Amino acid sequence: MLSEIWKNRLEFYPFLSMYLFWFLGSFVNSLKVQNRPGIVALGLITIPSLTLITIAAIKTYKELLLSGDTNE
Amino acid sequence: MNNLSPSVTYNKRFGYIAFGLLLLVILFSTYLHHFQPEVLRVPSNTDVSTWHNPAFEQTLIYNRMSEAEKQKIRTEGVIDGNNLSVVLFNDVVMILLGLICYLHARRHFGFWMASCFLIGSFVFTGLEESLWILVGRFLGGSITNPIGEVAFGSYWFTKGGLWFIETPVVACIGWFFIAYTCVLTAGKVFPKMNLLGRATAGGLIAMGIDLWMDPIATSPEIMSWVWGKGDFLLIFGIPLYNFMGWFLLIFLFAILWEKLPQMEKTWGRAKATSRFLLICVGGAFCVMTFLFLWLMIVGNLLSLMGIKQAIQIPLGW
Repeated sequence: MLSEIWKNRLEFYPFLSMYLFWFLGSFVNSLKVQNRPGIVALGLITIPSLTLITIAAIKTYKELLLSGDTNE
Repeated sequence: MNNLSPSVTYNKRFGYIAFGLLLLVILFSTYLHHFQPEVLRVPSNTDVSTWHNPAFEQTLIYNRMSEAEKQKIRTEGVIDGNNLSVVLFNDVVMILLGLICYLHARRHFGFWMASCFLIGSFVFTGLEESLWILVGRFLGGSITNPIGEVAFGSYWFTKGGLWFIETPVVACIGWFFIAYTCVLTAGKVFPKMNLLGRATAGGLIAMGIDLWMDPIATSPEIMSWVWGKGDFLLIFGIPLYNFMGWFLLIFLFAILWEKLPQMEKTWGRAKATSRFLLICVGGAFCVMTFLFLWLMIVGNLLSLMGIKQAIQIPLGW
């Protein structure tokens, strides 16, 4: 599975960019925000968006498997 | 090579002109921001006592700080405001994230469509943000909002290496890949939806991400951007119109971009490109006008309801 994703990594770049952006821009920075526990809990609000992005990434993987095109 | 098809020749010319012009604007804006800050009255990152319209005490972040934090900002300035390594890291990471999304777009939609998405979203959002920032900087504070508070109605970014007018290039590139990924996600997850539905879903996905990012980025520990007071609906410390702006920009841009192939069929590639970019520029002014009217209408409604101060959904909900 991982090797197939790696071979077709370009297909996953948009999702990767969003995960990294969320992780570096929001999650890591939220840990720097001191004495404001509410701000970390506020991260729960991004769950619907992240879930949809994850579904789209999984669908992309399934489409690749179906098309049999696992080479770049 | 004279045997290139007209569209390939056009693409080359379009690429050189569009990316060249964008680069020139970025270089000139960056020079103005860093070396001639007085021209656009760029607020100082080292001495917050020089801030005016709004002053440090008239910003939303001031209310979120403890006395010790206020003192620290007064003596040391904006956190990491002049830290070159932080600025460079942010610029490089965001440019890389934008680049990989551009590669994906180019593979699936071709050079012309991908470049129109990149340049269009960059200009659309960069111009809208810069307009909002500069209008507030030069005219804010001169009016009161309908509930009687002095309205600055503006904000500014504190960190950035490269700038597009008064918006950091990282923000414009962020807009590009967020818009692209959210529209792509909406298309994948809801393939049977029509264009309006997909654009709505894309806008909402992006807004969902921003609902957490902005309260963090504007916290006293990060201070990536600063808002003036005077807005009456605050969600997690951020004016509501910011989230509306996120939704509207991505919603409108997604519709416009998906209409591009149709525009090409009707007018040809060259005319479609120029009209697409003109609509992007005009759209920035329209979104700003809409948000201004929204502020006035909602403010007046709240005022009629007898509300005398800003409504806030606090951070620790």
